[in-house]
Amino acid sequence: MRIVNLSASAGLALLLACGGPQASQANNSQTNIGNGASPPATAAASAIAAAARPLTAAQALKIMHDRHEGMEDIGKNNKVLRRELTAAAPDLTAVRAAAAAIAKHSSEASAWFPAGTGPEVGKTGAKPEIWQKPQDFASKLHNFQVAAQAFNAAARGGDVAAIKARYSDLGGTCKACHDSYRSEMKH
Amino acid sequence: MPRQLPQRDEALNDGKRPQQRVWDLPVRLVHWLLAGLIAFSWWSVHNQHTDWHIWSGVTILTLLLFRLMWGVVGSSTARFASFVSGPRQVVRYLRGEWTGIGHTPLGALSIIALFLVIAVQVGLGLFAEDEDGLYAGPLAGLVSADTSDRIRDFHELNFNILLGLIGLHVAAILYYRLVHGKKLTKPMITGRAEVDFTGPPMRPGKWWAALVCLAIAVAIGGWVVAGAPPFGT
Repeated sequence: MRIVNLSASAGLALLLACGGPQASQANNSQTNIGNGASPPATAAASAIAAAARPLTAAQALKIMHDRHEGMEDIGKNNKVLRRELTAAAPDLTAVRAAAAAIAKHSSEASAWFPAGTGPEVGKTGAKPEIWQKPQDFASKLHNFQVAAQAFNAAARGGDVAAIKARYSDLGGTCKACHDSYRSEMKH
Repeated sequence: MPRQLPQRDEALNDGKRPQQRVWDLPVRLVHWLLAGLIAFSWWSVHNQHTDWHIWSGVTILTLLLFRLMWGVVGSSTARFASFVSGPRQVVRYLRGEWTGIGHTPLGALSIIALFLVIAVQVGLGLFAEDEDGLYAGPLAGLVSADTSDRIRDFHELNFNILLGLIGLHVAAILYYRLVHGKKLTKPMITGRAEVDFTGPPMRPGKWWAALVCLAIAVAIGGWVVAGAPPFGT
């Protein structure tokens, strides 16, 4: 796990070196796009920064609710996976269902973090740092999405060693993001 | 290892009260390691180091197992038989009729409560997993995800009980220091205390017995880390 985290952060450092990590808060919605960060991260970063029109309270709360439900379901599926993949004989049907669910949520996650859905709006485990460092957050989110798809692809096959390796990668991307951007939240 | 204990001899002690051995090295080490590891466990789990938190818990488990065995074969003041007593002794102590070295009957109640609550805390932690399913105690795989989540809730709840007992423990030490002028912390560091007790001195344990206890504790700890085969992976 440590090694996974290290390589993830090394990749991240490269991304940041291209994009210029500390752009001023006011400008980061549009001006960073041309700065040479990798395209997916930059596109996601613009989705994380302020929208053209601010969200209404109802819209914000709806997104936060969906986000919470989605994250919770990712967690549930992850618990199934950890149990199966540490067991002597994993139930691959259960693994495939969980992998598909996480991959689906990972795609939805692109729309989960628009500006104006932080703790200032309502109860959430999302830290304000998400919108203070949108590029870093976006690249970490992107890493998660890539890892979730790769794990889902591996799970469809029958190579348990490969499934476990991709699962380990996936866990590394979860941790990388949660360590910086998730606060403890009781509900 | 055994040394001549200073007897009550005013000339030798320059008018000071005599110092006696009261806590052996294993007791003191376990005490301060537990204090440090409990603080570290609390800090690490709230600072994105759940992996360290789990290792800290496993170390605490090993210390508890060691202390359990040392409580049977250790020095006289380390042995449960020497300080676990009934309510009658507690009443005697409160009336000022009790004399001895080591845990007082009242202090022993606090020690037993602390020991049990720490054991429950560690036991729950072994089966708990974090909210995201990214970290799990070594035995979490033996129960369902739902059970594991519920166990985590009790793990968090029980920590408040542990904090309360630690608070009581520290408050009692302050009380003895401020009201009775009795220093309890220094003996837990040096192993020696100024006591008036003239009964039999502390009988130390055997160093090799400590090593055997430690080896067994580490072996059980390792077995738990491995998921307690053949029950787990």
